Amino acid sequence: MNCERIREQIPEALAGRLNQADREALVEHLEGCAACRTEVAELNAVWRGLETVKSAMDDAAPDAGAKVRFQEMLAAYQAGMAAAQPAARPVGTPPRSAWFNQPVWRFAMAAGLLLAGILCGRYLPQAGAGGNPEMAQLRAQVENLHQMVAISMLQQQSPSARMRGVTYTEKIAQPDPQVLDALLQAVNHDANVNVRLSAVDALQKFATGPEVALAMVNSIPEQESPLVQIALIDMLVQLDARGAAPGLARISKDMKMDEMVRQRAAWALHKMEVQG
Amino acid sequence: MEDELTMCQVREGAVGKLELLFDRHYPGILRYFQYLTSNRTLSEDLAQEVFFRILKYRHTYQPEGNFRAWLYQIARRVYADQLSKRKPEVAMPQEAREISGAALPPDREFQKKQETLMLRRALAAMPGDKREVLIMSRFLELKYEEIATVLECEVGTVKQRVYRAMRDLSDRFFALSGERAS
Repeated sequence: MNCERIREQIPEALAGRLNQADREALVEHLEGCAACRTEVAELNAVWRGLETVKSAMDDAAPDAGAKVRFQEMLAAYQAGMAAAQPAARPVGTPPRSAWFNQPVWRFAMAAGLLLAGILCGRYLPQAGAGGNPEMAQLRAQVENLHQMVAISMLQQQSPSARMRGVTYTEKIAQPDPQVLDALLQAVNHDANVNVRLSAVDALQKFATGPEVALAMVNSIPEQESPLVQIALIDMLVQLDARGAAPGLARISKDMKMDEMVRQRAAWALHKMEVQG
Repeated sequence: MEDELTMCQVREGAVGKLELLFDRHYPGILRYFQYLTSNRTLSEDLAQEVFFRILKYRHTYQPEGNFRAWLYQIARRVYADQLSKRKPEVAMPQEAREISGAALPPDREFQKKQETLMLRRALAAMPGDKREVLIMSRFLELKYEEIATVLECEVGTVKQRVYRAMRDLSDRFFALSGERAS
């Protein structure tokens, strides 16, 4: 076996992962090759030194906050799933109630119930023949509360709270300019890529008008993450937003864009043509 | 196979099971980013994003695939996205910068500490692709087969790349220390 082949096996030998036959061949070669013996000595010194570097890094254990942050993200995701599929909980997924225990949720729910109670107490006794408009007003008030909570959460400092705000917009039945604006702000300016991605998903519900599709296509070149850019393109395809075609055509030819994003934009244009 | 079975459940909608995978693999993923960036806070953000992407793209997991290799493929993409946003060079550990030109007392413990710092300095100065393969092999102890899946190359190529990375690191280290092994 030549020296180069032998030397490629040195790291495995130092890690103790070399099989017996290769180990024996290595030892046999080293007995007759001084240059490879020097190579082993040098790499061995560095390999052992790296153990100290590794130990120092391994000592820095993850803190408890990391788990909490993960659980908040998971809870927000599960809440989003539940909102998207209210009738079909996936098999094997236990209902998760941890997020209900978060203070902000408890506050929001308590405020909602309180407001509903006050409004019911005020309007229901008067509801005779003309009860329906009052009930509609009550529903509108609760809807307003949902919107206020969502907007307030989208303005929080913590990314996980903003994520919950994005998920909370799923509760809102009617498109509202303020919520729409808050979601577009999140897509365009949120510092956290996870929040931006979730906001793209949430926007789908409200993206009925051509102005939203235009805002989304304009957002693509401004995004730093190709992942968000691709998510925006995919949504434009799902919405069959033909008005976005000129913008997508520009993106597909813009050499400053990530290659994957350009390809996706070209694919989106093709898809829209096929669907048309 | 335990990881693979758990991930299949996550893929099918039991997303709560991801917590098991988080408990098992978050420390390794955090270390991976710490070795690459030398920045604890940034590494924590990147590690969280890896698990968010697992959720978001859970449908793309292939049941016959090695979970750990898939996980590090995602981590690699997260790091690549990060690099496209920031300055690509890894920050040199503060202590490694401070030792430059320092006098060497004849104390064995101090000497060992200095050697470790020089090694970290050499590691930080390596090209990103070489540092990455060394991190996976030496620090995270991924198998060559797993590294091959992550890097989308042959096992033989991984073997060559790990050796060349070790050779490069060794050259940088001995150049800094001014001596070679005999």
